[in-house]
Amino acid sequence: MLRYILSRLGQSLILLLIVSFIGFAVLTLAPGGPLSQFALSPGMTQEQIDKIATQMGLDRPVVVQYFDWLSHLVMGDWGISYRDGQSVLHVIASHLFATLLLMGTATVISVTLGSTIGIFSALKRGSSFDYAMTVFAMVALSIPTFWFGLIAIYIFSLNLGWLPAGNMYSVGDGSLLDYIRHLIMPAAVLALVDVAIWSRYMRTSTLTVINQDFVRTARAKGLTRRRVLLRHIVGNSLVPMITLAGLQLPMVLGGALVTETVFTWPGMGRLFLDSLGYSDYPVVMGLLMASAMLVLLGNLIADLTVALIDPRIRLD
Amino acid sequence: MTTASTNTPLPFIRSRALRRFLSHKLALVGLVMVLSLTVACFVGPHLLPYDELHIDLMARFASPGTGGHIFGTDPLGRDIAARLFHAGQISMAVGFAVMLIATSVGSVVGVVSGYYGGKVAAVLMRIVDAFLSFPSVFLLLALAAFIQPGPVMIALIISATSWMEVARIVESEVKSLRNQDFVQAAHMLGLSNRWIMFRELLPNAIGPIIVAATLTVARAILLEAYISFLGYGIQPPLPSWGNMLNGAQQYLASAPWLAIVPGVAITIAVTGFNFIGDGLRDAFDSRSDAL
Amino acid sequence: MTDENKNSAHLNRRQALMMMGAAGAAGLMGPMAIGRDSAFAANADASGQLVLAFSQEPTVFNPLMPHIEVDEGLHYAVYDTLFDFDPEGEFFANLAAEVPTVTNGGISADGLNWRLKLKEGVMWHDGTPFTAEDVKFSLELLLDPDFRSFRSTGYKLMQEITVVSDTELTWTMSAPFAPMAAILASTFIVPKHAFDGVADKNNTVLNTAPIGTGPFKFKTRMAGDHIELEANETYHLDGPFLQTLIMKYVPDLNVMYTQFKSGDIDVVGLQWITPDHLAEAKGLAGKVVQVTGAATFESVGFNMMRPQFQDPAVRKALYMAIDKTSIINALYYGVPSPTETYMPSQSYYFNPDLPKHEFSIEKANALLDEVGWAKGSDGIRAKDGVRLAFSNSTTAGNHLREQAQQFIQQTFAMIGVEMEIKNLPPAVMWGDYWMNSEFDSVVVGLNALAGADPDTSDYFMSTMSPVRGGSGQNTFAYQNPKVDELLIKGAANFVPEERKAIYQEIQAVIREDLPFLPMFQYAVIKGWKDDVTGPAPNVNNRIDSWNVRDWART
Repeated sequence: MLRYILSRLGQSLILLLIVSFIGFAVLTLAPGGPLSQFALSPGMTQEQIDKIATQMGLDRPVVVQYFDWLSHLVMGDWGISYRDGQSVLHVIASHLFATLLLMGTATVISVTLGSTIGIFSALKRGSSFDYAMTVFAMVALSIPTFWFGLIAIYIFSLNLGWLPAGNMYSVGDGSLLDYIRHLIMPAAVLALVDVAIWSRYMRTSTLTVINQDFVRTARAKGLTRRRVLLRHIVGNSLVPMITLAGLQLPMVLGGALVTETVFTWPGMGRLFLDSLGYSDYPVVMGLLMASAMLVLLGNLIADLTVALIDPRIRLD
Repeated sequence: MTTASTNTPLPFIRSRALRRFLSHKLALVGLVMVLSLTVACFVGPHLLPYDELHIDLMARFASPGTGGHIFGTDPLGRDIAARLFHAGQISMAVGFAVMLIATSVGSVVGVVSGYYGGKVAAVLMRIVDAFLSFPSVFLLLALAAFIQPGPVMIALIISATSWMEVARIVESEVKSLRNQDFVQAAHMLGLSNRWIMFRELLPNAIGPIIVAATLTVARAILLEAYISFLGYGIQPPLPSWGNMLNGAQQYLASAPWLAIVPGVAITIAVTGFNFIGDGLRDAFDSRSDAL
Repeated sequence: MTDENKNSAHLNRRQALMMMGAAGAAGLMGPMAIGRDSAFAANADASGQLVLAFSQEPTVFNPLMPHIEVDEGLHYAVYDTLFDFDPEGEFFANLAAEVPTVTNGGISADGLNWRLKLKEGVMWHDGTPFTAEDVKFSLELLLDPDFRSFRSTGYKLMQEITVVSDTELTWTMSAPFAPMAAILASTFIVPKHAFDGVADKNNTVLNTAPIGTGPFKFKTRMAGDHIELEANETYHLDGPFLQTLIMKYVPDLNVMYTQFKSGDIDVVGLQWITPDHLAEAKGLAGKVVQVTGAATFESVGFNMMRPQFQDPAVRKALYMAIDKTSIINALYYGVPSPTETYMPSQSYYFNPDLPKHEFSIEKANALLDEVGWAKGSDGIRAKDGVRLAFSNSTTAGNHLREQAQQFIQQTFAMIGVEMEIKNLPPAVMWGDYWMNSEFDSVVVGLNALAGADPDTSDYFMSTMSPVRGGSGQNTFAYQNPKVDELLIKGAANFVPEERKAIYQEIQAVIREDLPFLPMFQYAVIKGWKDDVTGPAPNVNNRIDSWNVRDWART
């Protein structure tokens, strides 16, 4: 087991290296650069730009820049944001709360709602409810999230005036109620897709559990339908969901990007877009690495969970 | 040649799959949605009196139904219906191009690593893993931000983030097939590796490949919309469903049709392809219960 | 309403560099005290909170490092310059005890020797006294080879910066340079002690928790959302009159407007109210909405190295084929004003007598026919093997400009010119593509001036074109010996009346040459709650908060 984990970690490190190099090369070789945003400023002559590029080491060969960045990263130094002048980790951390709040809420909604739908779909397999939920899930997965957000803004903000069209809170308010009012729409929009995914997985998972022996035994013992449902089916169907949760982990960074844009939510997604716009390579690279790490970590957790739960899968 | 046809259970699968597909209600609904949208996009422009690029500042923001504009006009007074149909041609072309590229690349990578196994597979599948661990939105935007965005580039960029799924599917299919009798027979007949891979093994994985390809079209149309919405995709005046939505947020209050119309088109197209993909999956998978 | 507001920013006499004035101009010198410098106000009356919104996020807190406009929003609140421009283009003293002039002995008659007197008793936000050492340090830091400085023009000419006392310093100029005062007027002074013992001057406490002498002290920043500032109780000028100033980052202009409407935002700052909301905004109860001119001008600029643009008749014909009126009235809702030059109409140096643009497809066609640009089989004109086809680029995502661009494409097609749109993401557009003139043509909004000074050598001098081997910002690669000569003359002249003639002539020559097709001078729509006093247009500064020390709530 330990050996398996170590070898998986080793593989992950190699993957991270590949990812970081490709990412770095794409960013650095592309035309433009972090100084182009100043091109229209008074006094920003070509001479001045060249001087700053030299000071920042941007005129060095890509490979040299890469290893410079990498060697700092290995030492735990993620670099300094060009745009912000603060350490990359600090910049990322300062945008983390907003994204976690949004993603957390959306996840709670989607897990609760999605699991419920999934269980009932499975219990009433073939019913019109099951069929309707299947269609709902597929349509939900087909709607562009940002468009759904626009339509929600159009209806609930512009026409009905019930909810604010954007931001995380009103300046000078910031009460819990205020946060909730701002949170409802983006969280609901984000949750839509996840509800679809969770309900599908939960349905499959429940179907598998229903037909297993212990459920039949429980039924035969004369336990009430409700007890069987709660104790046995739900509990056991949720286990494989951990895998899914592991695979969903990286969404914390990238998943809310467009939703954050539509609702002007001050999180990681917007940080990424802003940083990309300013060619703030250290921050973009930082986000890329953080995100790739989460992907790999999520995969590892998912695989390990499956291995632990299902004795048929051997690790080595 | 003879080996191939005798040992391939393809015709049987096809006809049975076809029957199962045709009895799949959602799949048929999907097919109708996609076909009618395609017809509309290719025939529609010829029936409309407006050119998708013609600017008429006197006719800005005409609401749907006024002045002969069935879906209204945009901020430059261009007919939205005409733009929508042309955009559909472009968006769907991007979708199909991505499908072709991603499926081809994925199939080749999958069949090669599945067939040879060992070190070849290890290297190839690690590359697949590397691409998978790039968050696709990040990769898409990072690439698109620095490349002159046209339909071809956008299709290539989306393909770069879409081929891994097919590769994984094909790899596992081929791996399970490579020790079967018909493959052994082919070896004994002295057929080349290339022949065995592409004429014997690949056709047997055709079911899952078709399913994945269909879903790739849906995904590509969505991704194009995402990138273009964020302004990094196909650039005006060339219309695409995504870039018609870019900027629509600004006019949400005064001209909501700018946002509603292209969004509905995207949803119809993507839902259609997803329905078809779902039907195909059930059709090719004999074990599946009617999902 | 609109026109009236525009005119309110119109000024009768520009005295931008008068204080530099040699004897002849001395008589024009007005008193510098504009009532601001009265006393070290007690500021017990600083009260209330104000939310100023920007559509970009201020993040560069060290004002001497490369930054963009919105960063100056914070700089004006936290730091001070030695002196600054008021809306009339006149200087007023800030950290300087008085603005140096020839008459008060601050500047020698030849403009080479400067003596600067500073205010006494000014404190940095951390309680350290402000002295001449800080000024010397700031000016020298801008040329420090290890420091990423935002500008070196002008400072390079300053030599032997000497601290005479805590409140006085002197320097000499290696050449007379009229724009120097304007440059100093936009140079914020940073505290020397913040750099003590710091290994990397690019990474100091100023980057995260700026220390200035300005009206507001930095309190907190919530990244991606807002910055909170609080009143500097010991500010050396009048003000501040607000206890708390919040700079809110709202990246979407619609959301910004909605929040202004709903009252969440007190003052709409940078990138302001979009033109399509103007009519509605003017009718809002309890809000003041003003259209004010900005120094930026919008133009279609050519790469003068390209064969398509060598014939002046082509540039004239293209100018005639731009339907300026429709663009301004329909796409921009009549907010900006048409212009024929790069100089803002509010400037003392503005030339009002330039020939007026006329939109005429017929005349443009006739002109091109006349000089031998004949239409080929594809309907595109060509002459001597050169097709009148070129690309046009601008920032992808600037919707209004992209709309104008597509409209221009259509009218150009009507005179047999093929303009292909090739828009690029900002980081690419304004990188080498722009600086090294890799484009055919662009649509761009430029502010060619430094404050109220009329010098534009960086943009129009032939030696300032990077693609021609120069090092400035002449990315149109414009080249006219006459303009070169006039620009040199203008930068070395200190008499406003004489400079006015020089710069008006430059505008006339450029209008004739058309290296860019001037479309309009920007105007922006500002808005604030009617209980807010203080916000005032100032075409000489780039950002709303230039006088935030005066802002108050009633």
